[in-house]
Amino acid sequence: MNFAPDTSIDIASAVNRATAPSSAPKLKVEKLNFYYGDNHALKNINFEIPEKRVTAMIGPSGCGKSTLLRIFNRMYQLYPGQRAEGKILFDGGDLLSKDLDSTVVRSRIGMVFQKPTPFPMSIYDNIAFGVKLHESLSKSQMDERVEWCLRKAAIWEETKDRLHTSALGMSGGQQQRLCIARTIAVRPEVILLDEPTSALDPISTSKIEDLIDELKQEFTIVIVTHNMQQAARCADITSFFYLGELIEVGASNEIFTNPREARTRDYITGRFG
Amino acid sequence: MASLARRRTTDLVVKAVSTGFAALSIVLLAWILWTLLSRGLPALGPHVFTRITAPPGAGGGLLNAIVGSLIQIVVALVIGTPIGLMCGTFLAENGRGTQIANVVRFVNDVLLSAPSILIGLFVYQLLVVPFGGFSGWAGSIALAILVIPVVVRTTEDMLNLVPIGLREAAFALGAPQWKVVTFVTWRAARAGLVTGILLALARAAGETAPLLFTSLGNNGWSINLGAPMASLPIAIYQYAASPFEDWVALAWAGALIITVGVLTLNVLSRLILAKMK
Repeated sequence: MNFAPDTSIDIASAVNRATAPSSAPKLKVEKLNFYYGDNHALKNINFEIPEKRVTAMIGPSGCGKSTLLRIFNRMYQLYPGQRAEGKILFDGGDLLSKDLDSTVVRSRIGMVFQKPTPFPMSIYDNIAFGVKLHESLSKSQMDERVEWCLRKAAIWEETKDRLHTSALGMSGGQQQRLCIARTIAVRPEVILLDEPTSALDPISTSKIEDLIDELKQEFTIVIVTHNMQQAARCADITSFFYLGELIEVGASNEIFTNPREARTRDYITGRFG
Repeated sequence: MASLARRRTTDLVVKAVSTGFAALSIVLLAWILWTLLSRGLPALGPHVFTRITAPPGAGGGLLNAIVGSLIQIVVALVIGTPIGLMCGTFLAENGRGTQIANVVRFVNDVLLSAPSILIGLFVYQLLVVPFGGFSGWAGSIALAILVIPVVVRTTEDMLNLVPIGLREAAFALGAPQWKVVTFVTWRAARAGLVTGILLALARAAGETAPLLFTSLGNNGWSINLGAPMASLPIAIYQYAASPFEDWVALAWAGALIITVGVLTLNVLSRLILAKMK
């Protein structure tokens, strides 16, 4: 258990009361509905993501947790036929507003995927690619940025001597940490993690979990996971989704020890899902 | 048990028949190559590469035809490759799943299997008749029309092999679509894209029909794209049908040169593709 119990209970009670929390939420989902064509995938979701905390979303396959994650950085907009209704407040503006450019949203809300997705280029260029999209840095500034984010992603020692070799030659766990470094390099405010360790071995998984714990000092983190131990270990807040609805949200230690809803209890005790 | 014996017999028969036909096709290919080598190799000599067409018995070569072919193929690639690449990219990236993409893909498949003589006649009507003469340009454009559908098809297929996740990862960093395509998708598929261009080149290099009505052929030395231009396939066509022994020998030499060139390109593209995987 890595989280500090007193702070998480604080946040938890704030979230549970659903009234104005002492620290403003980073993302505030209001009456969100989502459709894949005719399929109503998310039903009237109201949800707050607190700043600089780790929020986990759990639930059986098809419950809508990944769908919600992909709305936060407007990934769904790549696919015609998918549409969202409702609001997601982010720094006072509506994230779903057409006036807001997707590339800007995605530079401020980064995402790491289930399978490591290194680009077919060098480790250095993998990071520089994202940075160059939003900033023009000198060579030395870029060198600094690359080192900074690789250190943050706890992979600097392993990569510093091979920055200009192909990223495809790294192990799966290293590739995933590179993907995290690449996301951090753009300096987003929120990092979305979509089952980031499900394709990795236990040692790589624990490295990434340690990393998540470090990163929440600076970033707001939302993680979708099928692994309930992972949610319990990493997340301050845990939310449980079922059939497109948000069933329960609260401090992780409460959700996992004393859930209010019967369906949450059934899921975390392994009775379904 | 009886049924097992029957199955084994069936298996044996099918195996024998398919092996037989596979062997037959290889024998045919080997026969062609053997004929080509046995007739073409003796005809090869420095004069083939250093002299241009000459009257029978005067010791002419294929220099004008080789150079003409190279010029027309290069121009065809310069015209056809960008169109093919962009069109294939549209099908795989921008237009994926749309009605217009389905129409474009269908038309491209029709073009891919269109008889090449038809393309020659089309360019004849389009460029030769209105501009009053056969020209290297007309030949190049006819070859470009052959190149385009091959490049479109291979480009789309190769881009479709790039995992969606890689594109999403680039989008997730805030990249606009054109950067996702040029920096990530094309790069991931580059070996396949090059292979497609090489295959298109190989196809264009061996075609006679589209050139018959367009660049016509030229017995003199000419690198002027505005005038009729010689090419290897047309030279082979003319020499092979002639009654003169040394011209027929030149036809064999030309056939050998094209075959070795096309074969090399095919092997090269397979090597690149194998390396990609």
